[in-house]
Amino acid sequence: MIAAQFDYKVPKSLNEAVSLLAADPDGSKILAGGHSLIPAMKLRLAQPQVLIDIARLKDLAYIREDGSQILIGATTTHYEIESSELLKQICPLLPACAASIGDVQVRNKGTIGGSIAHSDPAGDWPAAALALHAQLVLVGPNGERTVSADDFFIDLLTTDLQPGEILREIRIARPSGKFGQAYQKVPHPASGFAVVGVAVHLTLKADGSCEAASVGVTGVAAKAYRATDTEAALVNSTLDEAALDSAASQVCTGVDANEDLFASADYRCHLAKVHTRRAIVSAKANAA
Amino acid sequence: MKVEGKHQIDAPRTRVYEALINPEVLQRTIPGCERLEKTGEDTYAATIRAGVGAIKGVFNGTVKLQDLRAPEHFRMVVEGKGSPGFLKGSGDLDLEDAGEGTTVNYTGDVQVGGTIASVGQRMIQSTVKMMASQFFTALTTEAKTETSEPPPKHGFFRTALRWFSGWLKGLFGR
Repeated sequence: MIAAQFDYKVPKSLNEAVSLLAADPDGSKILAGGHSLIPAMKLRLAQPQVLIDIARLKDLAYIREDGSQILIGATTTHYEIESSELLKQICPLLPACAASIGDVQVRNKGTIGGSIAHSDPAGDWPAAALALHAQLVLVGPNGERTVSADDFFIDLLTTDLQPGEILREIRIARPSGKFGQAYQKVPHPASGFAVVGVAVHLTLKADGSCEAASVGVTGVAAKAYRATDTEAALVNSTLDEAALDSAASQVCTGVDANEDLFASADYRCHLAKVHTRRAIVSAKANAA
Repeated sequence: MKVEGKHQIDAPRTRVYEALINPEVLQRTIPGCERLEKTGEDTYAATIRAGVGAIKGVFNGTVKLQDLRAPEHFRMVVEGKGSPGFLKGSGDLDLEDAGEGTTVNYTGDVQVGGTIASVGQRMIQSTVKMMASQFFTALTTEAKTETSEPPPKHGFFRTALRWFSGWLKGLFGR
């Protein structure tokens, strides 16, 4: 199908994008990679009046190390993250997550900021953002504010991003100490979206026991979430078989799991448990 | 698709029931409801702008209330058609006393077709859950504000009038 009529604007700077958006915050949509928005528009499920294309703002696409932080610009593509030598060394969860997204065409166009702002319940980035305690920098008519990933994802396709605001940057504390990360995913065979996706970041003590753990889960519920019970079961454990079993078994505790034609709620939770365990095992192995 | 759930509302059962079948309250509490007009006995025409995030659609349809047994039960039959597809469904709502408050149990069957069903299937259930939770949150607010409302206005006027006439009588009776 062909999209409904819309106006298309190409700002030359982020400030211009913010003021274009301010003219009609509810009728306008920010376009980055367009791999979620454009299909929805073609099906006329989304009919914005105005598209504001920020994909051409080259100064919004970057991966930088700044002291103890990793800064990633919102329009950085999945492929740029997947192929970043810097990230492979200092935060391998990000390239691993990027590599699992869709296909080459999607990874070449789709952006990390677009994926996080869209907050698809099966999107991969929200799980990684939660596991890495990412801080999201939002810019709007009243200036900038920073929101933690924990507070950002509110519900199905709903985030803390207010009408008029644009996600500008993703900030992640550079992992330190003895740490290991992993992303485990069951892709939907047709769409490549996560039926279940689990991102794990572990920090180990000198004796190999677990000092800190964070687990982000996508695909299971209406939004990505932190599996806090699983995290609690890992911390201070020696990551032995019993601890892994107990941690993995709690990944769906208190979660209202999705159900669709492909996977029932029970099956989804089963997958989540199996893949949480695998993700923890490989994160532990990666830490060695 | 089966839809079921349970919501706790902090208001007496009769009040919750009245709110649930009151078209004015429903128009304010159904997420995205732009129009709800009575077209016959317990039958209403509705326009609902439903959507989450970037995905939005306008549905036009009818809502019928059946099996009304105040204050414990009614059945709602909904039929709608819009740009992203169509939906058809019916549900039973049962109200139970729960201490000072009320528990609303709902169970129903919804069929969704058209574009939204073919491409949005994986999100339909979450959307329904999200809208149900928004609806019950709004309904709770409505039911609560009604209880805390000041006594009906005529009471105040009657008291004032009585005081005023008494004052007049006193004035002229002297």
